[in-house]
Amino acid sequence: MALINVAAREIHCKIVYYGPGMGGKTSNLQYIHSAVPKEVKGDLLSIATETERTLFFDFLPLDLGKVRGFQTRFHLYTVPGQVLYERTRVAVLNGADGVVFVADAQKHKLEENIKSLKELAHNVTKMNKNFREFPIVLQYNKSDLPNRLPTEKLDAFLNPPALNLHWQRYEAVANRGDGVFDTLKAISRLVISKL
Amino acid sequence: MDPQLTSVIVPAEEVAQIEECLAHLVEDTQGNHALLLDKSGQVIASQGDSSRQDVTALGALIAGTFASSREVAKLLREKDFRMLFQQGVRENIFIALIDEQWILCIIFNKGTHIGLVKVLTKKATDELSGVLDRVRQQHRARDDVLGSSFRTSMEDTIDLLFRD
Repeated sequence: MALINVAAREIHCKIVYYGPGMGGKTSNLQYIHSAVPKEVKGDLLSIATETERTLFFDFLPLDLGKVRGFQTRFHLYTVPGQVLYERTRVAVLNGADGVVFVADAQKHKLEENIKSLKELAHNVTKMNKNFREFPIVLQYNKSDLPNRLPTEKLDAFLNPPALNLHWQRYEAVANRGDGVFDTLKAISRLVISKL
Repeated sequence: MDPQLTSVIVPAEEVAQIEECLAHLVEDTQGNHALLLDKSGQVIASQGDSSRQDVTALGALIAGTFASSREVAKLLREKDFRMLFQQGVRENIFIALIDEQWILCIIFNKGTHIGLVKVLTKKATDELSGVLDRVRQQHRARDDVLGSSFRTSMEDTIDLLFRD
């Protein structure tokens, strides 16, 4: 939940990037870190293995400055995507105000995407939150690759109209920044609308 | 709206009480720094060494440590670990959970005995638990605090800053 400190006139929101391993969650944060003005960003903190895979989380604090007298901060986190680290994902998800689900658009990753999204639904529900009401934005990453699934097919599995969730979704190529800010803007606006 | 999604609003009076409590804890233990965090890792208040620039990152990491230890506890069929102690060569960190929602953290050096820290932290967590109760009970509407035009201004700021 967001935290509003009336004395210090500060607002803190937590956004978590969730999704299957090697999907591009860390790339999203790295691109944001490289592209936002330096007065907005803090240090990008990564707890990774020796092979640069996320072990615990990446953390990027963003300070949006004063909005109507309130210093507004967004804290972005990633979770480790590998199946092995489910307990770690639960730990990082704790207290999140919104989630960006980074799906890997490649054909052979569809099943992993579905599993990861199901796990997210389970974990959000376990935190006593209503998954249907929870702020979520989808990102279909690696959309430049030739073996990617068409958007309609990804929608059919990850954002099925029958479920009536109608999450906003963005195509992205996170390592070169395409779609990264569209996604961040969408989740930020959604989180702010629920404050 | 889902009650879990509503914001936690910490009023000025409660923030002042929290800061006073943390300042006492630092003074009485001769510690270096005390922090109160939300379990999501956000820093609610911080007292002590004013040169510390890394408080935000510290908050995120300590909350991560705590959340991780809770998952370990569950595997051991414990509900959670109420306290954690991390010992360094120069500095130590003692962390205690308050009512499942807040985390109190004190950083101190080898001149301070851990037993004293434990006793005084227990006293502080009892006091902070009372403050947390009051924070939970107050129901101020978001618009009373932020003003009704906050959302529009926020959206403008987001559009301005989050772009290539």
